[in-house]
Amino acid sequence: MNARKIVVTSGKGGVGKTTTTANLGATLAKRGKRVILIDADIGLRNLDLVLGLEKRIVFDLVEVAEGRCQLRQALIKDKRFESLSILPAAQTREKDAITEAQFIAIVDRAADQADYVLIDCPAGIETGFRNAVAGAAEAIVVTTPEVSAIRDADRVVGKIAAAGKPMRLIVNRLRPDMVRSGDMLSVDDVCDVLSVELLGIVPDDEEVIDTTNRGEPIVLSEASRLRGIYDKIARRLEGELVPFTSFDGQGFFGRIIDALKAG
Amino acid sequence: MHQVEPIATESEPTTAAVKRGRAIVLTSGKGGVGKTTTTANLGTALANRGASVVMIDADVGLRNLDIVLGLESRVKHHLLDVLEERATLDDALIPDKHTEQLFLLAAAQSREKDEVDTEKMQALVSSLRERFDYVLIDCPAGIELGFKNAVAAADEAIVICTPEVAAVRDVDRVVGLLGNRFRPQLVINRLRPALVKKGKMLSVEDVNAILRLPLLGVIADEPEIIVTTNRGEPLALRKETATGAAYHAIAARVAGDDVPAPMPPAAKTSLLERIGSLLGRNRA
Repeated sequence: MNARKIVVTSGKGGVGKTTTTANLGATLAKRGKRVILIDADIGLRNLDLVLGLEKRIVFDLVEVAEGRCQLRQALIKDKRFESLSILPAAQTREKDAITEAQFIAIVDRAADQADYVLIDCPAGIETGFRNAVAGAAEAIVVTTPEVSAIRDADRVVGKIAAAGKPMRLIVNRLRPDMVRSGDMLSVDDVCDVLSVELLGIVPDDEEVIDTTNRGEPIVLSEASRLRGIYDKIARRLEGELVPFTSFDGQGFFGRIIDALKAG
Repeated sequence: MHQVEPIATESEPTTAAVKRGRAIVLTSGKGGVGKTTTTANLGTALANRGASVVMIDADVGLRNLDIVLGLESRVKHHLLDVLEERATLDDALIPDKHTEQLFLLAAAQSREKDEVDTEKMQALVSSLRERFDYVLIDCPAGIELGFKNAVAAADEAIVICTPEVAAVRDVDRVVGLLGNRFRPQLVINRLRPALVKKGKMLSVEDVNAILRLPLLGVIADEPEIIVTTNRGEPLALRKETATGAAYHAIAARVAGDDVPAPMPPAAKTSLLERIGSLLGRNRA
């Protein structure tokens, strides 16, 4: 059981947990790693859609937990990336259909046959979140440079720190032009508030909407600049020292930074 | 629940009929599609029409409605203080900065959703309906306890969806979970007409071919929303902007006015096929 077990989480929904999980998973697989992605969003699964694997689902996470099938029967292999597979969530069940102990056991079983197990956490901080975090040994916190996302991330950072798990930060959907015009928080602002080591900065790219809708992770597009960005994130995750692309600009969000620090 | 004027009883002549405001939950399943932004803007627009409005942030532990309204430094008491009788409703209601007759009941930030008692929440909303024309409940993401409590207290629902396959799937699930007690109405948020034209985003027709819900309105994706949200000033304060006007049109429709729904670029996209087959499969 030597795999790294990493939960991808955020607190706030819609900041890109699932997109990050899919693209980072695909990138790691491309680099030759054996990767298993687990969709922990029981009842509202989407990782299968983002990877275009929704039609291949036979069994799901809850069925594995209930012993109705083997883990290997439920794992769906991604044909584009040999060493990538996903364990889909159940769609018509609830988060409490699985216990924390069951979830931990499944992640550990997955870890026996992989180098990386990435857990796509549901939004919020309820049972689904607690299970997903319990199964992981480390965390990637995803946030967008928006006040509400950062506040939610801050809450999640506190919970992960309390669980004694190391974490790193991805700032997603940055719009450098808006940072420069003072209309969006800068990466420095975000890091200043959250005090979490930075793992990556992903600029906002409208192509992601289209590729997500089509079930093709954007790292598959040769022309996409995000491909290189996720590659850097994967290398940093593996311990390489990779310099960050600078998206400079100065934030002036005094009100917000004060409020976030106080709250 | 306390310090609320008692309900008129039969012994009292009904000089003033008991107000029976509308309790509407704004929900979506998926997070980040604009529930909180829509709540703030709809509340602002309804109050601008002369209605009295209270907005409840039901996202205990991850509150944000206060920030979107620019009221974050004025929060003294929150929903759980009221439910657990540590504060009166009058102490906990925060008057909006910009709009008369608009109030916020903030969520607790350092508590958990399972600490909310469903029956107490229902009783609170019920008493708020006697004081306000509208009780808007900003639902947390997901379909766990926080969602269930927010929904239990409401008797109308507005579902917010973005034109994305994942969001449509989540909303479809939520509509199913809401059950027959509700006839949800739909707000499509963050539409980018240019992308729809290129066939790279679902159109309004695509989304509603799947969801088949009465359409309250469509809001375009504008960087201005991020800016105004960060600044704590809902765009509905600026009726002269296209987005501000769109929120006012939604408010008018909620209030029952016969306002034609503005329909951005039509035409079904090829994306519809994929999502249609996928949702059909889910329902099976």
